[in-house]
Amino acid sequence: MKTKQGDEKHWWAVMLRDPQWWVPLIVLVGGLMVLRWIR
Amino acid sequence: MAPTSSMPPLERSRLRRLQTLGVMCGFAAGAWLGAAEAPTKLVRAGVSPVLISLLMVVGVFLARWSLPALARGTSQVYADAQRAPHLIVWAILAGCLWAVANTLTVFAIRDIGISIAFPLWNLNSLLGIFWGFIFFHELRDAGWWRWLGVLGGAVLMFVGALLLALASSMQAPGGHALHGVVAALAAGALWGTMYIPYRKAYLTGMNPLSFVAFFTVGELVMMTVLALESTGGPGLLWRELVTEKSVLFWLAAGGFIWVIGDLFQQYAAKYIGISRGIPLSNTNQLWGLMWGTLVFGELHGRSASLHVEVIGGSVIMSAGAAAIAFSAAPPEEHERWQAAAIRESTLYGTDIEFVRAGLEGRATESSTARTALDWAMLVIATLVFAVLGAIARAPMVDLNLPAALVLLGLIVVILALCGTALWQTTKFS
Repeated sequence: MKTKQGDEKHWWAVMLRDPQWWVPLIVLVGGLMVLRWIR
Repeated sequence: MAPTSSMPPLERSRLRRLQTLGVMCGFAAGAWLGAAEAPTKLVRAGVSPVLISLLMVVGVFLARWSLPALARGTSQVYADAQRAPHLIVWAILAGCLWAVANTLTVFAIRDIGISIAFPLWNLNSLLGIFWGFIFFHELRDAGWWRWLGVLGGAVLMFVGALLLALASSMQAPGGHALHGVVAALAAGALWGTMYIPYRKAYLTGMNPLSFVAFFTVGELVMMTVLALESTGGPGLLWRELVTEKSVLFWLAAGGFIWVIGDLFQQYAAKYIGISRGIPLSNTNQLWGLMWGTLVFGELHGRSASLHVEVIGGSVIMSAGAAAIAFSAAPPEEHERWQAAAIRESTLYGTDIEFVRAGLEGRATESSTARTALDWAMLVIATLVFAVLGAIARAPMVDLNLPAALVLLGLIVVILALCGTALWQTTKFS
């Protein structure tokens, strides 16, 4: 994937640096922990 | 094509049309998501919460690959995935969030009753508004009047939801109050956050039907893992499924209805954003109550004060929804959405024309032909539903059939109206 700056970066690498990616991921892990706790 | 850093403002008349369409989709989502509760009410108490959730997800998965596959086939889903491959992961992540949240709600209802649980997880609207503002420039440059409409409307809807939930509470809490409250709040947090992937996908130009295709994969995988862990392995899960075989159809039917509501919710998130789309689709509580009271006679013989509470809650909730519906995004705010879309395009290198076409509700694909794979999936999905239907037992529940037919007719009319409007305005893009 080519970014505007012309750098060749795989979209995985871009995604891992995207803060918007980490928010849902952290919330998902938190949800799974709550589920384990209440069961 | 390399992404550019600018995008011309959307024509005012087109923006107005898309906003109206988004509002219609938000209300249609509420109607269908609320109706999805009806088939599950036919299932007797005692079925495992995880099994209920799993079967609904199976219904959702099959439904996605039935009628919607005819609207937009696998070849177009593949083309979308090629243009923005990162969104596959986002959609699967959203599906996982939904599955965990849905399972948490079942536990929350068990522990604190629906009266407290429902308003708690409905706080997802406020979280959606927060994420929409922080990440996607929603409500920026919208003016204080629209801020008041959206935030005030969401608060009114919360109050209405609280009243309705208290009135419709039919079951006593089963203890473990802290567990129940935490489960309901966590479900609200998961659902509120699930809209980040939704919005991200639509700012990047992805088609809702493509997004839902991968979303259902995430749901099914996560729910299967949870069910296997909960029951103790594939053998035990299968045994439980066989034991409950007579109710599987009704749960899957609930999932089928749910996915239609979810598709409308996706289009609402796309055209009016998550800060307005989520609260509008939360009107599902009103529809769930209508099915409960008119079809299943849930409030029959209850006190007059309770009926006043129900009417009051419904009026407040409707007023909140109306306030949001009339707070459409002005051109200045839409330009901020475009800026957020350009950020996505720049970050991930997505073709700016694809992003722009998606934001403007224009179809980009040249071919809409269905492949043999689409027809095969349609046949498989139909066969599975037919088999589940054949082994299903008629529910031993008293229901008001004329009322059920009226409500069913109403949601079908809503489906036809919104489906036609979507096709005419965006060709389902």
